[in-house]
Amino acid sequence: MKIHVYAGLKDYFQPEFELREEIANTDELRAVLVQINGNAGPLLSTCRFAVEEGFIDKNFKLNAHDTVVIIPPSSGG
Amino acid sequence: MTPSSSYRPAAEVSGPPAGAYAHAPGIPALSAEPLDVVGLLSRAHHPGAGAVVLFSGEVRDSNRGQAVLGLEYEAYAPLAEKLIAEILAEACGKWKLHIAVAQHRVGTVAVGDSAVVVITASAHRSEAYAANRYIIDRIKHEAPIWKCEHYADGTKEWGNNCNCHAVTGDIHKHIYETDPKPQP
Repeated sequence: MKIHVYAGLKDYFQPEFELREEIANTDELRAVLVQINGNAGPLLSTCRFAVEEGFIDKNFKLNAHDTVVIIPPSSGG
Repeated sequence: MTPSSSYRPAAEVSGPPAGAYAHAPGIPALSAEPLDVVGLLSRAHHPGAGAVVLFSGEVRDSNRGQAVLGLEYEAYAPLAEKLIAEILAEACGKWKLHIAVAQHRVGTVAVGDSAVVVITASAHRSEAYAANRYIIDRIKHEAPIWKCEHYADGTKEWGNNCNCHAVTGDIHKHIYETDPKPQP
């Protein structure tokens, strides 16, 4: 599974990386990422997730070939 | 306050049906170049529009007491562009706008420069004002765009994030300035 992160998450992870674990949904993905870097936990708990240019919720079934974009709270404007 | 005899809610304003409007006529939602505020305004006139409202969000020289040198904006472009287009289309239908434009900077933006421009044009000013506020409010809360503040002391911070989830309990639900205020 390919992961892309933005903004403040880049303080904790590379902008793009790959995970080999079996991850079924965003809750599991968040848990794996917290294992990698526990300091990212508070920010990850506020992030939205997107696949194929659309937001997904925790019920969305993730696949190994997905590219998941992790989206911190917006701060545009 | 009692509405005057000339008061007409937006829904009652006559005009072409929702969806028949040209929002964002060929103007990209994101720009890595300085925003051409005057140029954007020059493209936002319409013979049916008696009111054109332009909002320019500009970079302040301070934030929370710290001197700011400039901002750096980052976006997840495919989703930001898609979302802004949806917001503009929705606003066009809701307020029967003739023109709706939104363009946001990415990259480094200096103090005093424009980071985001929203232009709305409608038959009457109330719709143009309301729609303009709605569009910028939704962009700020929802569009995957982020700013990193660069301070004079050499530090930087990704910040001023939407914090609505602390109240709504849902990262997908937001509280907008344009929402009706709860009664005390």
